[in-house]
Amino acid sequence: MSSSTSSSRGIYLKILTAITLGMGASVGIIRLITYANDVSGDTILGRVYEARDALPQITAEENPVVMFFGSSMVEAGFSPRQFDRQAAEHAATVKSFNFGFGGLNPLYQDYLSRRIEDAFNEKNRRLKLAMIEFNPFQATVTRRQRALPDEDAFITMLADDKEIWEWVWRDPERGIRMLNIRYIRDNISAEMITHHFGGDLRAPMERISGRDDEEVVKRRDELGQKLVDGVREDYPDYPNAAWYYPWQGGGTIPEERSPEMVAMYHDYYATLRTEYRMKSDRLRRVQTADILQLNFDEELIEAFIRIVKNFQRFSDQVAVIMLPRNTAWIQYPPEARARLDDAVARIERETGLEIYDFQDLDAVTPEMFSDTTHLARYSGDVAFTQHLVETFAEDLKP
Amino acid sequence: MVFNTPIFFVFFVTFLLFYGFVFLQKKPRVYFILVSSLVFYGAWNYKFIPLLVGSAVADYFIALAIGGTDDQRRKKLLLTLSISINLGILGLFKYADFVLSSVADFLGLLGYQASMPTLEWVLPVGISFYTFQSMSYTIDVYRGVMTPRKGLIAFTTALAFFPQLVAGPILRARQILPQFHDIPTPTWDAAKRGFLLITSGLLKKTAADLLAAPVATAFDASTAVSTLETWIGVLAFAGQIYGDFAGYSDMAIGIALLIGFQIPLNFRLPYIASSPIDFWRRWHISLSTWLRDYLYISMGGNRTGHRLRNIFVTMLLGGLWHGAAWTFVAWGFFHGVIITATHALREIDWLKPFHGSSSRWIKLLKWAMTFYLVLLGWILFRATSLQSAWDIFVNMHVWSNTPHTNPSAWIIAGLTISTLVWMHLMDAVILHKREAIEKRPWLLWPLLILGQTLCLFIGEPSNEFIYFQF
Repeated sequence: MSSSTSSSRGIYLKILTAITLGMGASVGIIRLITYANDVSGDTILGRVYEARDALPQITAEENPVVMFFGSSMVEAGFSPRQFDRQAAEHAATVKSFNFGFGGLNPLYQDYLSRRIEDAFNEKNRRLKLAMIEFNPFQATVTRRQRALPDEDAFITMLADDKEIWEWVWRDPERGIRMLNIRYIRDNISAEMITHHFGGDLRAPMERISGRDDEEVVKRRDELGQKLVDGVREDYPDYPNAAWYYPWQGGGTIPEERSPEMVAMYHDYYATLRTEYRMKSDRLRRVQTADILQLNFDEELIEAFIRIVKNFQRFSDQVAVIMLPRNTAWIQYPPEARARLDDAVARIERETGLEIYDFQDLDAVTPEMFSDTTHLARYSGDVAFTQHLVETFAEDLKP
Repeated sequence: MVFNTPIFFVFFVTFLLFYGFVFLQKKPRVYFILVSSLVFYGAWNYKFIPLLVGSAVADYFIALAIGGTDDQRRKKLLLTLSISINLGILGLFKYADFVLSSVADFLGLLGYQASMPTLEWVLPVGISFYTFQSMSYTIDVYRGVMTPRKGLIAFTTALAFFPQLVAGPILRARQILPQFHDIPTPTWDAAKRGFLLITSGLLKKTAADLLAAPVATAFDASTAVSTLETWIGVLAFAGQIYGDFAGYSDMAIGIALLIGFQIPLNFRLPYIASSPIDFWRRWHISLSTWLRDYLYISMGGNRTGHRLRNIFVTMLLGGLWHGAAWTFVAWGFFHGVIITATHALREIDWLKPFHGSSSRWIKLLKWAMTFYLVLLGWILFRATSLQSAWDIFVNMHVWSNTPHTNPSAWIIAGLTISTLVWMHLMDAVILHKREAIEKRPWLLWPLLILGQTLCLFIGEPSNEFIYFQF
């Protein structure tokens, strides 16, 4: 070997060492900062991870398993323990779970549904009934755009190794980015950090002028505190989990509470439904999810269809459901209605299922909502869950 | 594949491993650089690789033919062929649709409703850079500035050399080709400079991406924008375009240095320029010198008595080089006007003391006027239409406020100005104090790690390099 060749090798060795050590130090500092600030996949996807971690226990359940999979509207609107009790009255013994999660869109839910499928396949188990929410607000272009900075990090947090490697082959640039986010950056992308810290510098969204009556605000605060204290007293063992197994991922049920406490909940929700708050809430959801015009994102609709197909592979019955709509606040103009009809028709065509459209359910009135989209506890969830039991009880009988 | 992505990191580290430890002889190294460069280019769109290679092959043989004949007529014919091929490629891919739609618009103005078919072809990345680079070789050979060198692979590799392939700097064959005939070995000092430039480039690119948001507020808003936010947007664009392009150039130079190749600087503190002429000596130096050497001088330069006309035409075509849109033509026109005006003003006797003054206040005034004019130019460069550019210009100069004005606007203004100043301070330090930093490892390495950490900490999604579209 000539001396020039060996000296050339020496230089490249030095260069590569400098790159490795320099990048190692930088990545180490980043991880230290995120660790010190308690930022991780666990803190970002707390409820999702807790539900995912409960899957081995769910698949070991003795009774047939029912799952309602969807958004925060499912989280608020489906009471699994009430469902089980009422289904038993119809001679159907099941164990149901609330798999509704806020902050996701169908792209991420697609990966989460595959994790559920993995868990069921591992135990060679099938779902008795999979209820899947089609939430039009989750599938809009606006919703996707607003989540874009976090998209790769969320996919990375929910995908398995094989799926990330599939990304590498399909789109090497994105795939390697995801590998970097998962293995080097501990699931936290630079975009996610910037998006988080840069929030204060972004132009504020348009707001509704005005404010709530001070008496109403005071009453709301008082009731809110009493409700928190009430949960502590009635459920001393509750570990403040985002997804709690004994509650099957749902919330508390009225049968366990005193009539005074239930009445207090109703009062509290009434203080939330002031005109100012409802208008503000609707405007915010228009700005963040285009809930009135419903301009759909093709990829999100395709992802939703994949979710249904994922569940179809390991479920005896799959039902796609649209949750009740707060008709006092959400009315679609004709062009939005047409877009929604097109999306529904496409989903039905590609999945072979007819969607249960409960958007205009008579049993659910605008007073049963806590805001413009979410059902209120002890009223909306009760009415809607009862309707689900009536719809599916026959199918759940052994 | 852009420099500030994990995939490029994987690509480059793999490249270094093979280049430094497997391919140790000259020829295999040149072949390896060529294959790597084509992989790098093909990552965008492999279908355009034949266009790049074809352009290189054509100019290589044309240059050989020019060098092999003494017949001036034949030389001229061959040069015309080379220019026609390169400009033909550029015209077809970049300007055909612009010309067709402009003709249709013009006929529309005359009252004829013409429906022109458009090609709607994808613009190959880096086409404006490599066609100019390739053309400079045949022109240099024609002028006798350099003799054609044998070695098709070396020439193609020089043209496709991945650090500078897609966004320059636009290298002359005489700067880069000899390095592929006598492959250089990097020194540790050059590598340290390379690391410094890569980090500086990454920091600039990161800053540019962050500035994209206030730029969009001013330029892409669907509702009225306040005067303050318009100024912030225009200032932010000055920072964004500089951070983006100078950042890319720094990284290109730094990456080349890590494997021993020398690429000249492309920017030299452009926003401290004291006149429009000075600005073009500092901004995109490889393009401005290319235009000077191959267009301005070809038209007669200073000699024909048409100096101002030649400058004006050069700047106009320079504007068009940046993109097929009337806004770029207007940008070139604007710079043509301010440069020719500067030259004309220098000839006025009673203004001569002003030009030659060493007074600090006059220097400050000249800087402020130049920076203001450059900012006005950036409006044309970034605006989506001439109408939009005019609206932004009016918005800057007629005070208005809107209920949607961001309450943090003054903070954003402060951050934007700080970013502009900080980018220039960083460049000034690298230009003038680089060696002092490189000699102090206790300063160099923590600075590099701090810079890298910042770049890894901050990120904005999908902000590709702006100059890739040119």
